[in-house]
Amino acid sequence: MAQMTTTAPLAAPLGDAPARVNRPRRGRRSVGASIALHGTLILASLIAIGPIAWVVLSSFKPGYAVQSTEITLVKDPTLANYEYVLFETNFPSWFLNSVIVAALTMLIGIFFSATTGYALSRFNFPGRRSLMMVFLVTQMFPVSILIVPIYTIMANLGLINTLPSLVIAYLTIAVPFCAWMLKGYFDSIPTSLDEAAALDGCGPFRIFWRVILPLARPAIAVTGFYAFLTAWGEVAYASAFIQTDDKYTLAYGLQQFVPQFNPQWEYLTAAAVLVTIPAGIVFLFAQKHLVSGLTAGGTKG
Amino acid sequence: MSTVTADAAPRSAGLSTKLRRSWDKHWTAWAMVVPVVAVLAVLIFYPLANGIWLTFTDQTEANQVAEICTKSITGGEVCKENPNAWSFVGLDNYINVLTGRIGQFWQWTGTTLIWTFFGVTFHYGLGLGLAVMIHREMRMRGLYRVLLVLPWAVPAFISAFAWKFLFNEQLGLVNSVLNGLGVDSVAWFANKWSALFVAVIANIWLGVPFMMVALLGGMQSIPEELYESAEIDGASPWQRFRNITLPGLRPVSMTVILLGTIWTFNMFPIIFLVTEGQPAGQTEILVTGAFRAAFEGLRNYSLASTYGVLILSILLIFSVFYRRVLRKQGEVW
Amino acid sequence: MRRITKGLAALSSVALAFTVAACGSDSKPAATETKAADPASLSAELTWWDTSDAKNEGPVFQELIKKFNTTYPNVKINYQSVPFADAQNKFKTAAAAKTGAPDILRAEVAWVPEFASLGYLYSLDGSELLADESDYNAAAMASNKFDGKTYGVPQVTDSLALLYNKELVEKAGVSVPKTWAELKTAAQTVKQKTGVDGAYVNPAGYFALPFMYGEGGDLVDTTAKKIVVNSEQNVAGLKVAKDLIDSGAAVKPSATDSYGTMMTLFKEKKVAFIVNGPWEVANVKAAPGFGGVENLGIAPVPAGSAKAGSPIGGHNYVVYSGVPQEKAAAAVAFIKFMNSAESQAALADKLGLLPTRKSAYEIDTVKSNAVVTAFKPVTESAVSRPWIPEGGQFFGPLDQMATEVLVQNKDAKASLDAVAQKYKAEVVPSYATN
Repeated sequence: MAQMTTTAPLAAPLGDAPARVNRPRRGRRSVGASIALHGTLILASLIAIGPIAWVVLSSFKPGYAVQSTEITLVKDPTLANYEYVLFETNFPSWFLNSVIVAALTMLIGIFFSATTGYALSRFNFPGRRSLMMVFLVTQMFPVSILIVPIYTIMANLGLINTLPSLVIAYLTIAVPFCAWMLKGYFDSIPTSLDEAAALDGCGPFRIFWRVILPLARPAIAVTGFYAFLTAWGEVAYASAFIQTDDKYTLAYGLQQFVPQFNPQWEYLTAAAVLVTIPAGIVFLFAQKHLVSGLTAGGTKG
Repeated sequence: MSTVTADAAPRSAGLSTKLRRSWDKHWTAWAMVVPVVAVLAVLIFYPLANGIWLTFTDQTEANQVAEICTKSITGGEVCKENPNAWSFVGLDNYINVLTGRIGQFWQWTGTTLIWTFFGVTFHYGLGLGLAVMIHREMRMRGLYRVLLVLPWAVPAFISAFAWKFLFNEQLGLVNSVLNGLGVDSVAWFANKWSALFVAVIANIWLGVPFMMVALLGGMQSIPEELYESAEIDGASPWQRFRNITLPGLRPVSMTVILLGTIWTFNMFPIIFLVTEGQPAGQTEILVTGAFRAAFEGLRNYSLASTYGVLILSILLIFSVFYRRVLRKQGEVW
Repeated sequence: MRRITKGLAALSSVALAFTVAACGSDSKPAATETKAADPASLSAELTWWDTSDAKNEGPVFQELIKKFNTTYPNVKINYQSVPFADAQNKFKTAAAAKTGAPDILRAEVAWVPEFASLGYLYSLDGSELLADESDYNAAAMASNKFDGKTYGVPQVTDSLALLYNKELVEKAGVSVPKTWAELKTAAQTVKQKTGVDGAYVNPAGYFALPFMYGEGGDLVDTTAKKIVVNSEQNVAGLKVAKDLIDSGAAVKPSATDSYGTMMTLFKEKKVAFIVNGPWEVANVKAAPGFGGVENLGIAPVPAGSAKAGSPIGGHNYVVYSGVPQEKAAAAVAFIKFMNSAESQAALADKLGLLPTRKSAYEIDTVKSNAVVTAFKPVTESAVSRPWIPEGGQFFGPLDQMATEVLVQNKDAKASLDAVAQKYKAEVVPSYATN
């Protein structure tokens, strides 16, 4: 991390900003720094995937070998667990339900938290501060206590055993956080941009939609991924609201492999792997947008 | 907002013009927040208000209805008055909980504070460190990002099982590695602190990716030019981190630390599944303790709500305090 | 518009309930009438929440449903497998909101008095389901009784037994222990002669009961309304368990996942004696290297100084009280079929589930089933648990106590006193303490 010299002075003709995003930011790293950097990241990655590796390895073992006095990496490898999970349970419809619920939570969540976040960031309206506090309060009351009253409300709305009940419940978890997060991000976008657009005759909604949102791509990617995962992995609400096998979400469907006695680790782990892969893919898409929206000019000046 | 004390007629006139003016000025902002507020009001605040009311009663699943009816399968229904219908009990619930007559509120609170402090500190510290590293342009950056984010993508209860298995006293990998190194097996869950240690480790593992991604998103809003000019001025990497990265991340950091604290405080599955509160309930935190106290067997709604309100109060005090501290350094929210 | 029609429907069903209630005794003959009638005339759609193991047990129940439909073609059963862990709260939440509860539920024994006290279940008295009540094992039936009425019929019963590895026991040359003292010496001998551990004591409340019952203890006395969990007998019982561990006869247990550890060790022939129920037989049988069911010994739990006793468990069929009366006949017919001696025998045959009907044990396939016959004396001598609505809350404090005493070496008396205090404060405040 020592010497970073030379390249900086060459920097920055304003025009080619987008290209700079993917350019090496600063001078070359020394070999030592490189080794330290990669070494740390490799170590961190190993720690991150360690327990997951256990899950993956277990998913290829027969049930009796998952927990055993003899600790093995691979034992009697088999694909039977995946076969069972994919073809002999309702996995495909659970999968579809999860995709629907998570996608809706993500899209609706981003939309509402972006508008809310923008209002919180740009307008000093009465009730603004208390609204921020209110959002916090929604996160403070333990979910386990809220489930019974929310069930009653959902029942009155006729939403029990429907996917919308889950989408709504997950939005109450995701939107407050996402709105806070986006508010912070919008704060860092100079108001001079809004003002300039307003001078050009844009209304507030147009400014938000045309000017601010495109600049907020990284934050939208982060909050969107958050909203997606909230819906993707949640169990408590799903276990209360959903009653028929064809409406289960993945995370709740997995509970079927943990009966009163005799947990079926082999299926549980295989299903967990199948649940994790799509989440990883969604992140791959999200991370493409984790590039600076702001360096695209504008901020200079 | 309006604390007008004048007599009726002028007040209503003044109020309505005031409202009108306020509306003209702020309708866009209100239009943008109103859907969210409406949904939250119905789904969270109504139950919350109801929950606060419950804390002053002794309502449980068994005494909440005035009469209990038994239907016979051969037809007919016998209803009788609930022998012990609920009643108002004033502050009894709070007294029972706070004096330790029911549950172990103070022990759970202490454990929760330790749990939250270590969890959030390491989440943020490690998340920031990794985000800084991974923000740089380098080979395999995309791969590192995905690998580091995976713990977040696995359903939490599966990871909880994985950690519990790794630390199983007789069949777990950790102890067998220790044995291989010539160290005796550790009975991880037989002692409060070692059990809590395992749970905190699992929770750190689970929560770092979120912090990393959130901070990574925040770093994108720091103009590259700032770094470049700092470099020209000869700032060291540490100085750049101190004076550009950290301040630039301030809005995001503020949010994730605040919400991270709230979430970790109320983090249910890790304690519930990894330590199961073992040994003998010593690693129970407030949410899991409250759940076991109130929701096993006949559900005790008033007790659950009492814990809920106490948790809420602690977190509210924390948020207000947190805001005070931050406000000294500038505008917060 | 729709709301109005919905309201009307609700109103009319209320009206119906009133008429039915008004002529309660008159409707009895009507029920018997349907029985006599052609089964095909019975038409209804029923939802059944099954909480059994979705993979291993579920398909067998579904087969039975198919068989049921050959006699009753117009009764459609919506079979729902619900994870056991959340079925209890799920049912109560749905029943309280009067939306979403199933018509029929497979309820764990301790749930029945709880649900019944909340008014969530139909009482079955006077129906065909109880016509042959004497055929049921009385201890298994007892969990369905609450406040003088009967709210369910037992589907399957179970109890803890001493399971042992025949090969290891023979190798050590010991006989099957009849008392805890004999178990201690037998386990020690196994350890000396074969090198593997003798026994595993699971430090959990339910699994501590045989030790307490053995000395004549119990949790509460429901007739005298008294908390007796901190009795001298229970202290003595726990000392017996503790001594097994301290003397090296039993493995030092772990605080979490001790159940899984116990089963892994047993299945891999690393421990000779465990105490567990019939639900694990299939798993032991399937474990490679154990030697199948031929190598599995089953005996009643060892006795303490007073007696040998283990807690009774199992599952019952119950009918949700929100089911409209006109579907009741179909629900009765379904449960009657599912719980007939023949159906129970089929379940015993395929899954090793223990029948609750005496007549089922007379059927040849059951008689020749070694596991079921081995468990028969175990369930016959099983000890009834306190069947009160608060029954589900007894085990939380008891589990803590078991960990304290058996893992953390705390004083048994002090731990039990704390349990008694908790029962008094949180579970049964109206009961007297010692």
